[in-house]
Amino acid sequence: MLVKDVMKGPVLTVGPDVTLEEAYGLLLARGIRHLPVVAEGRLVGIVTDRDIRLATSHLNPKGPCPGCTQVGEVMTREVVTAHPLDPVEEAAFVMRHRKIGCLPVLEDGEIVGIVTGIDLLDALLRLTGVTEPSGRLEVRLPDRVGELARLTGFLAGRGVNIHSLLSYPEEGEYVRAVARVNTLETHLLAQGLREAGFEVLWPPKKPW
Amino acid sequence: MVIYRDEYRLYNFGPGHPFTPARLEMLTSLLQALGVWREPLAPPEASREEVLSVHSERLVRRVEAASCGEGVPDLEHYGLGTGDTPVFPGMDRAARVLVGGTLEGARRILVGERRVLQLGGGLHHAQYDRASGFCVYNDLSVAIRHLVRAGLRVAYLDIDVHHGDGVQWIHYEEKEVLTLSLHESGRYLFPGTGHVHEIGRGAGLGRKLNLPLEPFTEDGSYLEVFEALLPWALGAFRPDVLVVQAGADAHFLDPLADLLLTTRAYERLFRLILEYAEAYAGGRVLFTLGGGYSLDATVRVWTLLYHVFHGLPLPERLPEAWLRLWEARLGKPLTPTLHDPEGAYPEIPRKPEIEGRNRLTLRRLTELAEPYLLH
Repeated sequence: MLVKDVMKGPVLTVGPDVTLEEAYGLLLARGIRHLPVVAEGRLVGIVTDRDIRLATSHLNPKGPCPGCTQVGEVMTREVVTAHPLDPVEEAAFVMRHRKIGCLPVLEDGEIVGIVTGIDLLDALLRLTGVTEPSGRLEVRLPDRVGELARLTGFLAGRGVNIHSLLSYPEEGEYVRAVARVNTLETHLLAQGLREAGFEVLWPPKKPW
Repeated sequence: MVIYRDEYRLYNFGPGHPFTPARLEMLTSLLQALGVWREPLAPPEASREEVLSVHSERLVRRVEAASCGEGVPDLEHYGLGTGDTPVFPGMDRAARVLVGGTLEGARRILVGERRVLQLGGGLHHAQYDRASGFCVYNDLSVAIRHLVRAGLRVAYLDIDVHHGDGVQWIHYEEKEVLTLSLHESGRYLFPGTGHVHEIGRGAGLGRKLNLPLEPFTEDGSYLEVFEALLPWALGAFRPDVLVVQAGADAHFLDPLADLLLTTRAYERLFRLILEYAEAYAGGRVLFTLGGGYSLDATVRVWTLLYHVFHGLPLPERLPEAWLRLWEARLGKPLTPTLHDPEGAYPEIPRKPEIEGRNRLTLRRLTELAEPYLLH
């Protein structure tokens, strides 16, 4: 999944000379939280609803002036951006580590989209396959070549379609694999997997 | 009134499939052996047009083609030809026979019958445009739509261990249909839906209620939330009729799921449902069967339903000859009594936690739906 698959566009932008009052009105009207700031076709900054609320707060020592302060005075400069062909996990990594809520997406210097935390949550929902009728299988695999293939091969042999398959490293030499599979018969699958030597964490084995 | 015909057993995905017609064969033969079987009403099969009242033409065309053995390239896209819902010759008619039974139940209710038990159907996973989870056509929704078009308000109650997703989505925006599903949480179990926050859309907002329960929920916790939810929801909605999908797969012996109901909980549930139908729906109630994949448990649960439905005294032991016959056919022992023995499964260490989480889920559901349901 790439940034171009989850980003939103076209993007609403403002110039640096727009007042905070006008900018806030736009954010409210569109139900969004981030406004990239563009001057002469180039991205020069970004302003969020939080930036504006802070700048216009009575707690701000310069005093609030929503109608006379310009976006250019409070915006964040040197904006972190993404490219449409970046993988979504890279976008998530950057946003998490820089503690930022969005990435404007640039192609040849021009804004073509924007990715926010909400878009990444949507991506997560799609990645986990929860939107398809399915049951959940959770298997602990040794972290070595061919184990995932053994699992998917087993499922294929049972005629089970995999809507999604997530895997992540665990403590020790293990990988946890979570699959959403289009069957009511996850218990029977689990039984078969156990007989084939897999460690199945869900569904559990009933002791009766 | 009981509705049934032997052709229900044509709905057969083949040997080894859990949704086996042996369930019906065992059930009807047990009722006969117990001497309580009364001649049921044999329903007509549903027409193509009746199926089209809730399903897309393109789905029906594919079911028809697959039924005659024609190759259909995009079958899987429509949920057919999968491991769960494979195609078989005559599938279209077999499914229409089941739909016809539930629809006939709806018709009988409309001409004044109060209680109907349809010994089949309950295919609650079938969706507008897709077969799913052993379900080709949605008999429940066809019946519900028939009742709604006749001007009735319908409360649909689904006690199958799997979420009643097909019925929910088909009626998701309808004001006249309240859907209530109690099921093992979709976090783990097929179909993955049925969260408390799925409460309907548009005119249907607040009228689709889901109570996803923790795996290993037992009788006490299930009945506690059931008895809190049903009078509240039915009292607010005031339906004209109750349509019940009485799946038996929440039983602890079920091989596909993880709830731990015993036959004692089922007996209480069936008695409560009849009471609620009297109190909130003018006594009108239409039962269908549904899931249930432990032959031993499922047949006893539905035998209980049949007895409670007719107000018959419950037998204690099952007839010896019947037990011998079926034990020989299945090659394994069966529970010899109608009710489960006491202490049939080991103690569940997480019991208090499970009960607490179920209470919390109920509270979340009522808080979410209350502002809409009461208006």
